[in-house]
Amino acid sequence: MGRLISTRLAAFVMTLFAASIVLFLTINILPGSAAKSALGMEATPQAIARFEAQRGLDRPLVVQYVEWLSKTITGDFGTSFQNSVPVGPELLKRIPVTLELATLAFLIANLVAIPLGTLAAARHTRASDKTTTFAATVLGAVPNFWLATLLIMVFSLNLRWLPPGGFTSFVDDPAQNLRQMIMPALSLGLVSSALLIRIMRASMIEVLSSDYIRTAHAKGANETIVIRRHALRNSLIPYMNVAAVEFGFLFGSAVVIEDIFRLPGVGSLVLVGIINRDFPVLLASALTITVFVLVVNLIVDLAVGLLDPRRVKGSQA
Amino acid sequence: MISVLRDFDWRRWRLVLTGGTIIGLILICAIFAPWIAPYSPYDLDVVAMLQSPSGAHLLGTDELGRDLLSRTIHAARISMEVAFIAASVGLIFGTLIGVAAAYFGGLVDMVLMRFMELLFSFPAILLAVVLMASLGTSILNAMIAIGIVFIPGFSRLARAATEVVLREQYVEAARAIGMGHGRIVFVEILPNILAPLLVEAAVAFSYAILLESALSFLGLGAQPPEPSWGNMLNTGRGFMGQAPWLSIVPGAAIFFSVLGFNLIGDGLRDVLDPYMKE
Repeated sequence: MGRLISTRLAAFVMTLFAASIVLFLTINILPGSAAKSALGMEATPQAIARFEAQRGLDRPLVVQYVEWLSKTITGDFGTSFQNSVPVGPELLKRIPVTLELATLAFLIANLVAIPLGTLAAARHTRASDKTTTFAATVLGAVPNFWLATLLIMVFSLNLRWLPPGGFTSFVDDPAQNLRQMIMPALSLGLVSSALLIRIMRASMIEVLSSDYIRTAHAKGANETIVIRRHALRNSLIPYMNVAAVEFGFLFGSAVVIEDIFRLPGVGSLVLVGIINRDFPVLLASALTITVFVLVVNLIVDLAVGLLDPRRVKGSQA
Repeated sequence: MISVLRDFDWRRWRLVLTGGTIIGLILICAIFAPWIAPYSPYDLDVVAMLQSPSGAHLLGTDELGRDLLSRTIHAARISMEVAFIAASVGLIFGTLIGVAAAYFGGLVDMVLMRFMELLFSFPAILLAVVLMASLGTSILNAMIAIGIVFIPGFSRLARAATEVVLREQYVEAARAIGMGHGRIVFVEILPNILAPLLVEAAVAFSYAILLESALSFLGLGAQPPEPSWGNMLNTGRGFMGQAPWLSIVPGAAIFFSVLGFNLIGDGLRDVLDPYMKE
């Protein structure tokens, strides 16, 4: 068990290290000088040289990377090129917003996918199965940013039930927070449920065709009880594998949805970093999303390894 | 001819046919856009700003009086071009990397696939956005960025399929008669791993349209006045109350294109590998 955890942790650290190199290199070969963006297009060559020297941008990339990494490990994400504000505290303020959005979207995706996937599997090859599969196909083709726009048109502009954007902390006003988060979460969650409905359906079909379910049916157990007591739990293990990975990706997909609903999360900070050519902001926000996705993948990997004794045995052999 | 049509298994191919019909119509729009579109997509008409759908403008006009139907038809070109080039970049480079990893094994396999897994660990939209920031905002760069996003998926699939083919006797026979690496790869391996890659390509097409639209929506892809469904939808955001058609029409175009490619992908998967249907 200990070996499994240490192997996975070592792989996680290596991947994170490699990911930091990829992000740093990709972001630092941005065309258009960060100095010009910060100082304006009319900036003199002397002012640009001074700006780059002050921030160490005139040094070799390897030196810049090592310095950035050593600071980042200690929690120092540098200061914004635009307004000289430290990036770390700004990031800390924004993480809970994206985390709340991803969590609500994940809840919605599961609340849709688990019952519909189970229903489709229980009625396999019948009309309700075909309807659900078709609905999942249609839902999977809807761009989440279009769904977001349609939801704003219907619920904010026409019915005037929900605000079209903005953010109030849950601690300050829980009701207003939920009113502001429900449409962004629906936009992400409903589209994400399309994949999960298919996974749940496939997983449940496999479990329902196993011997112990046939035995339960042979003993006269009613179908609802068979599904609820026996099949659901077992079909949820492979399902949760995929669902958990999807949770990580919901965190990453927040970039577009946060922009539409003016949510001050990590995703919108990525865009701020790109528009302003603000390297420290862009690097810190992109790295935060990557770390989150990798941590979720690590947890899934460990959970699967621990739940499946064959894997534990295999890894110890 | 009639007997061929009578014997054709329509039920088996219905998803591919439905998706193919949708994509076929969009492709016709993309190819013949200058002849089909009633107006130029760039012509401004200040008198006809934000007009609702009418006989003169079937889908209405935008904030600069441009005909929305004409812009939607012309935008199909960009979406299809991006989808085709991005999927091709992903398919070609992903297949080369996957086949090389499986064929040479050892260190080559380890280095290539670890790097692919690394790229795979980034959320697609984040990777595309960061790459666009790095490459600069243009439609050509969007094609490259989206293509790079697809490489890991294709390489994983190509590697797995190549590993299966490498165990076949005809590959051993080719090696035994002294066939070179290049000929073995191009004559014996590539034709036999094509089926799963084609299914993946259909899915990549739909995903490329979604990603290009998302990038243009964020202002990182096609730049105005070039019409793209993503940037049209972005413009529509500012007029949701006054002119909802500006948001509905380009979004619906993205939806139908993605749906069409998804149906083709699902249908091909069912036909080529019936076991995967479950």
